[in-house]
Amino acid sequence: MIDHTSDPKHATSVDRRTFLKRVGTAAASAAIASRLPAPGSVHAQDATLRPDPAAKRGGTLRYGVHTAPAHFDVHQSGTVANIGAQSPMYDTLLRRSPKDGQTIIPDLAWKWDISPDGKKYTFHLRKGVKFHDGADFTAEDVKATYDRIAHPPKGVVIPRTPLFATVSEIVVIDPHKIEFRMSEPRPKAFMLGAFASGWNIIVRKKSLEENGGNLRQVMAYPGTGPFKHVSRKDKEVWIMERNPDYWNKGLPLVDRLEIYHMPPFSAELGAAFLSGKLDYARLLDPVSWRKGKEMQGVSAAAFNQSVIQAVWMNMKKKPLADARVRRAMHLAMDRHTLIEVVKDTAPMQVGGFDYPFHPMSTPLAELEKKLGYQRDIKPAVQEARRLMKEAGYAQGIKGLDFVVRDANTFKLWAVAIQAMLKEHINIECNLRVVQISNWFEEVGGGNFDLGISAIVSTLMDPSDYFTAWYGKDGPQNYSYWTNPAFHDLTNQIDRELDDNRRKALVRKGEDILEQDPPLIPVAYEQIYDAWYNKVHGQNPSTYFGIYDVVRWDQAWLT
Amino acid sequence: MRKYLARRAVYAAVTLLGVSLSVFVILRVLPGDPLVAILGVEGHAQMRPADRVRIMADLGLSDPLPVQYAHWLVDIGAGRLGKSFFRGDTVADLIRHRGPISAEIGVLALIVSWLVGLPVGILSAFKPNSMPDGLARALSVLFIAIPGFWLGMLIVLALLFWFGYKAPIVIVHFWQDPWQNLQIVIGPGVVLGLAQGAYIARMSRSCLLEVISEDFVRTARAKGLREGLVVMRHALPNALLPVITISGVLLGFVLGGSVAVEQAFGVPGLGRALVTAVIERDIIVVQNVVLLYAVIFVAVNVLVDLSYAWLDPRIRYS
Repeated sequence: MIDHTSDPKHATSVDRRTFLKRVGTAAASAAIASRLPAPGSVHAQDATLRPDPAAKRGGTLRYGVHTAPAHFDVHQSGTVANIGAQSPMYDTLLRRSPKDGQTIIPDLAWKWDISPDGKKYTFHLRKGVKFHDGADFTAEDVKATYDRIAHPPKGVVIPRTPLFATVSEIVVIDPHKIEFRMSEPRPKAFMLGAFASGWNIIVRKKSLEENGGNLRQVMAYPGTGPFKHVSRKDKEVWIMERNPDYWNKGLPLVDRLEIYHMPPFSAELGAAFLSGKLDYARLLDPVSWRKGKEMQGVSAAAFNQSVIQAVWMNMKKKPLADARVRRAMHLAMDRHTLIEVVKDTAPMQVGGFDYPFHPMSTPLAELEKKLGYQRDIKPAVQEARRLMKEAGYAQGIKGLDFVVRDANTFKLWAVAIQAMLKEHINIECNLRVVQISNWFEEVGGGNFDLGISAIVSTLMDPSDYFTAWYGKDGPQNYSYWTNPAFHDLTNQIDRELDDNRRKALVRKGEDILEQDPPLIPVAYEQIYDAWYNKVHGQNPSTYFGIYDVVRWDQAWLT
Repeated sequence: MRKYLARRAVYAAVTLLGVSLSVFVILRVLPGDPLVAILGVEGHAQMRPADRVRIMADLGLSDPLPVQYAHWLVDIGAGRLGKSFFRGDTVADLIRHRGPISAEIGVLALIVSWLVGLPVGILSAFKPNSMPDGLARALSVLFIAIPGFWLGMLIVLALLFWFGYKAPIVIVHFWQDPWQNLQIVIGPGVVLGLAQGAYIARMSRSCLLEVISEDFVRTARAKGLREGLVVMRHALPNALLPVITISGVLLGFVLGGSVAVEQAFGVPGLGRALVTAVIERDIIVVQNVVLLYAVIFVAVNVLVDLSYAWLDPRIRYS
């Protein structure tokens, strides 16, 4: 067994000397951990989040993030509307450190063991943790939470279910020890990433039982998190107060959290931030973000988000079933121009078929040397024309139905892509703008030739999204794409435990996707945050996505 | 009079029934899946057929359409406006919380439209084809032509970039803090009021031009009355009826316009809630709020009709 200990005494109060020692140890461990390839190593474990020694207590943090959630069930959600607003009320088994957004550190589990064969994960849970309604937190709550995530009841849909597809049994060993038994091992980084995902909040077994396993319309089911629900005004603001009984003594640091619901990339959010009505704004539009950056006393950060923006091609339609036509369309894109087209609407970056910033993917500098990603697009266009000719479409294709999701970025891109396809390979398409709910109906029903939209993944690890995006019958494989060689490779990637060998397999997968594209990658989203310098303890520059480090327990105000 | 009122009540009921049927049918035949907004893109993609059946049944969307419509009418009759598909908030709560803000905006728009439109109309009518008349006519065409949401956005941006100002970002009711409340409603109220004021200015000008050529106005002047008295006591009351009528009709524009203008100003009123509900396909919210708007529109127009008798004693209802 690999033994991981975060807090040997798992005591909830410390004296000053112990505290300083721990901070020092934690800092040193974090520094070492940052150089280690895989999370879950011994050193990463000594890093239960502790308050910044310089931190001050008190104050109200006003945070603007996204519109109101459609419902209250975090597990069933896939949008920051939920996790951005509700996360401060809950904890997870493990979490990503707010210091870098990457390192996995303990949370409700203070220690975990992984069996040598990688088929058993044992979590040792903290004692003395209470839910906001005063009930004790036990392993039964973890079991109820994860049973629901891994095997949702009828009428409950949880996007993270596939992450735990190999979890065959969840066994409560004692009230503070739980074991996850797996039918086959998965890479450690993948599994620990799944357990540390901000989505997988621990909820009370009783809450689930009382509501038939569905929390969509239950506003403030109790959590164990650093903040407690106070009030909510629909589509306006959610107010929370410091949990005085929080297990992690000394946290949270602010007394009150006001979370304002505002549309992402909107002038409204920008105006609220720039006028000082918010202390911290997430998902700012580029114009407000740039303006904020120029202001004195304001800090700003841009970081990577787990969203791909893409065009799907309906392979059930004849010309698009031909891999040469799809590759030609892929090569006909001037990606750097596409980024430029939306630069005042949303921040984007160039990428291929997997996250360009993931260590297993082809690095961006290398990718930009490949056809289809170069700044000089002439060679790619030449190759695209050759492929069209070879496929028997030298004269081009007319009348493709291009379904465009009604959002500013997609509408801008659709026009640019329409022009690029026409100019470079003489493909003519008719744009059809539809609402989001209609887009998925049309595309899901196969009533399209091309469709532009965006999809998201929970983890950066290819094992999370290769199956969903590119798998045969994958839930987001809107192109109806199949490629036996790739599907076989995905199985190998999922099961390969050695990082170097996995990386080689991922690169092989990229090559297949380049030659036989299941979609046309348009761009990868970035997130623009800005905050007034009175907010400390939160700098998302190195974070991946906006779903894991969203609890605000470490943030403090001056 | 009673007979007239009874007849108007029947007409109003038929109109509202027509509106309810139209909005019900339109919301059901429009393409788009409400489950996308409820489950999110990823959840929707993973949804199994059994999940869909269960969720649609929970939402009351699996009954036959006539049954759903009948249920809705029964609920309205019983004073139940139902619950949002999403967060479980009731539509009644939504209206109670957001309605007053939108109502204030509507009333403010009406006041602004009269305060601006009527004097401009009078000035234009009594100095026809003069420089002030030309200016007034040009401005009224301009305000009719400018979309309210665009003007709203310009105002928001100008206030922000020049003065670093933004109105409160959550609802503050008048009884909670009148000053904060005024900051929320004044922008949309003025923008909507200016557009309606332009219509009122044009209508009052043309009515007054017609009235001031009448004999009784000439007589009033011949008697040596001051021009102010001629206008206020003799000409204006006789020119007001069409202006009041158009104000009732304009209320429809105010209600419709408030949806976009509230959005532009970021005011969390009922209009904005309607936009969000349409995007989310929150059918229950949309159909009830649209019906509420229809009730207000019909009621105001009945009141406008009734006010004729009070303004012009020659009019009798039978």
